Amino acid sequence: MSAKVDTPLFYSPLSYLRIALTTFIARRLLFALVLLAAVSLFTYLLFALLPTDPAALTCGKNCKPELIEANRVRLGYDKPIYEQYVQFVKGIFAGRTYGTGDVAFTCPAPSLGYSFNQHECVSTLIGKTFPVTAFLSLGAFILWMLLGVGTGTLAALHRGKWQDRLTSVVTSIGVSLPTFYVGLLVLFSVVIWLQWLPFPHYASPTDNLHDFLTAMILPWITLAVLSAASYTRITRNGVLEAMNEDFVRFGVAKGLKNRTVIRKYVLRAALIPIVTIAGLDFAALLGGAIVTESVFSLPGMGRLAIRSVTDSDLPVLVGTTLVAAVFIVMANTIVDIIYGILDPRVRLK
Amino acid sequence: MGETMKRRIIGFLGLALSASLIASACGSDSSSRGRNAVSTDTFASTDTLAIPGTDSGTPTTGGTIHILSQLEQVTHLDPQRNYTGSDLAFAGSTMQRTLVSYAFAPGSDGSQLVADLATDIGTPTEGGKVWSFTLRDGATYEDGSAVTCADIAYGTSRVFATDIIVDGPTYAISYLDIPQDADGNSKYPGPYTAKADQQALFDKAVACSEDGKTITFTLSRVVADFNYTVTLLAFSPVPKAKDTGEKYDMTPVSSGPYKIESYEPGKSLVLVRNENWSKASDPIRNAYADSFVYEFALDPAVIDERLIADAGDDQYAVGDGGLQPENLQTVFTDDRFKDRRQDDYDPYVSFTAFNVKTVSCVEVRRAVYLGLDREALRTAGGGPYTGDFADGYIKPALADDYAPSKLPEGLNTDGTPNVEAAKASLEEAKTKCPDVYAKATVEGLKFFHPDTPIWQKLVSIWIESLKAAGIVIKPTAVEPSKYYPTVQNEETDYDISRGTWGPDWPNASTMIPELFLTTGGFNLTRNGDDPAYKQFETDTKAALDELDRKAQGKKWQALNQFLVDQLWSIPGTFTKAQDLWGSKVGNAYRWSSTGSFLFGELYVKQ
Repeated sequence: MSAKVDTPLFYSPLSYLRIALTTFIARRLLFALVLLAAVSLFTYLLFALLPTDPAALTCGKNCKPELIEANRVRLGYDKPIYEQYVQFVKGIFAGRTYGTGDVAFTCPAPSLGYSFNQHECVSTLIGKTFPVTAFLSLGAFILWMLLGVGTGTLAALHRGKWQDRLTSVVTSIGVSLPTFYVGLLVLFSVVIWLQWLPFPHYASPTDNLHDFLTAMILPWITLAVLSAASYTRITRNGVLEAMNEDFVRFGVAKGLKNRTVIRKYVLRAALIPIVTIAGLDFAALLGGAIVTESVFSLPGMGRLAIRSVTDSDLPVLVGTTLVAAVFIVMANTIVDIIYGILDPRVRLK
Repeated sequence: MGETMKRRIIGFLGLALSASLIASACGSDSSSRGRNAVSTDTFASTDTLAIPGTDSGTPTTGGTIHILSQLEQVTHLDPQRNYTGSDLAFAGSTMQRTLVSYAFAPGSDGSQLVADLATDIGTPTEGGKVWSFTLRDGATYEDGSAVTCADIAYGTSRVFATDIIVDGPTYAISYLDIPQDADGNSKYPGPYTAKADQQALFDKAVACSEDGKTITFTLSRVVADFNYTVTLLAFSPVPKAKDTGEKYDMTPVSSGPYKIESYEPGKSLVLVRNENWSKASDPIRNAYADSFVYEFALDPAVIDERLIADAGDDQYAVGDGGLQPENLQTVFTDDRFKDRRQDDYDPYVSFTAFNVKTVSCVEVRRAVYLGLDREALRTAGGGPYTGDFADGYIKPALADDYAPSKLPEGLNTDGTPNVEAAKASLEEAKTKCPDVYAKATVEGLKFFHPDTPIWQKLVSIWIESLKAAGIVIKPTAVEPSKYYPTVQNEETDYDISRGTWGPDWPNASTMIPELFLTTGGFNLTRNGDDPAYKQFETDTKAALDELDRKAQGKKWQALNQFLVDQLWSIPGTFTKAQDLWGSKVGNAYRWSSTGSFLFGELYVKQ
């Protein structure tokens, strides 16, 4: 006789919260998997439609048609695109072996393929480049949030005064300058002409903290200054809008200190749209800050991605696209959760 | 801080309105940041040699040479896959030795053969069908083990593994006496998959003497300059036990004065001294610098700016890709750079090929040559810095083979079109070959060009300048990566195409036959049915079989003139490249055999 399972007539609020959260996360994960499968398939199909011939690109000086065809076989582009895709998916779960005889080698699961241009498994390449991009993104993100939210709040609290006007001018310049231009300007000025810093040579912070910091400081500033301009504007508008809300007036009427009202009521409300944008911006940056990494010669994922495009290196292209997509999906999920924390009205809707 | 630098900074900052960056800029001590001071310990003392070249100074040992590159990595370090001038010069002068190399010297001396792993530059027998090389004693790898005859044979055999060893030169497959199957493929598939009987085919063609002192190559035909062929790293040794196939590109074993300390594509390649290399076993390498740092993935504008600023470690730096066009004016008009710049020929010749099957009338081909505004094309491409108008297909750097050609009468030497002469030539065609005349003047000549921004500009010059002479051009743009495969395909229906070619070694044997024999690797002219072809083929084969280098040179000179007369193709430019390097780099000359810096011979000036 089996034990009787008691089914409660009512769930406690905490249980409701747990069930809702589990369902929410499960739904998100399922959606993420479907999305990633679609992204990888779409990238494969798009690659097949490109006019560039990857087999011709890897061919040397005597690039005769028969050599190009031999290259096509070596790279696996001789097979139909769906077959290439199936091989790719199988590799994720079972790994893939390349070459024959004594010189065969394997990219272990989860294998995203092998780059014949860079002589390395794609997952290894991503493993090497991702930390660079992550450090770059995180440092820049912290800087631009502090700068953007700080100056935006300051401008809103001094609406119409010189602080506000100065912020408006600076942000107008900031949003209109292209990253490559500012990056080169900063690099040429600080490193090459003034020689305040040595030319950046990236090193892991655990290997050489000094080299890490000297390599990162200018890219952080470049990214932060440009992004902070947008965030200053958004924060200023958000704060001004929030200051007219009833609950803020209520706080003031209650006799709360200005600082408390701003911190607990105004900023909390104003930060909601910023969290959404910041999450997505940060995730996009994790997929690779292409221009900044190129200008400052940082060996990150952005440069890896752009190189895969110029080399028509499909495995790397798919790998970097997938990783970028993972971050976007993750960021969306995290943003949804933070939304709930910041605004009780949207919690668990 | 110099005035120029001040102006540059102020201009840039003013433009950018970046007030935050404006600061009191003077006072930084660049010298204190240099991490490249010449060491005065291990190799410091008196190892000084006077060598000819662009430097009047005396080379000194020590220090680190920096190579600034926009590439993500060296294209290939696997010797059998290495096939670009810059990479051959880099690897060949630092890490990989071959049987025969070229003199480490500037100017045309740099094209002279010298023995490297061999004791001489090769002994031909059977009229040049069999070549033997005696090996030098004492050559070792970085682990101290000896370089053997078997390693050279094994290295050569890797070329046949065309599924793994790609991108490299395939002369071993073309020349060695190994049977082919019905499809024309070698019956030897390379060392990774060969069965015993297949391996025996290779071992018969490349054999080591019993004492391991002599390696003999048996060829399928006479190759009079096979000793030039073996200068390619494709014939250099690879120890079988260290071969990792596809991945050997990242971890090649050194037999030269330097070895890899670290290699991170996208970041850097660091070479340090190979303590197991012995100068006594190597008559040509001097290995002045203590180390080399190849810095990858730099923005071309950043490379130029660093070399122009010439501060800190950049005083010991060279670029590997030439100067950007926008900086040429600055560098070549300012005397500050006069001791550290060069504007010289690279190995290439550009040309316009006719499809001789469809443009079978020499008068029409001549009319195109005479009527084309070559000066406008050169100006649009970057002006005189891009090169000089070519008078054939052999560059002056190939000193043994070059002689000035007699160009068609009426051709303006300044590159401007001679419309009247072009019209006169067309008039001749009208009666001699009316079909081709009609094609050129009414139907239009199909001109295939790469679909790139620069070619969008150039093709309009083609159309407009030839229109004045009465010639109609019908352009077809081809996606760049598919351009050469397209025009090399016999099925492609073009009348005119474009190409650039450089010799694989300093002998016109890898220019003229490759470009104009029907069996050549890059013949875009489809000239096999031309009445003059038989004579050309006979004369070319005679030149290829000529063992006397001087006599061979005379034959190439005559053939070059023959080609200019036939106009199966129009010579374009002897292309040039421009370099700038740090003020403390010595021996920064262009090695004529590869057209790039001889990296291993660069030294740090005291």
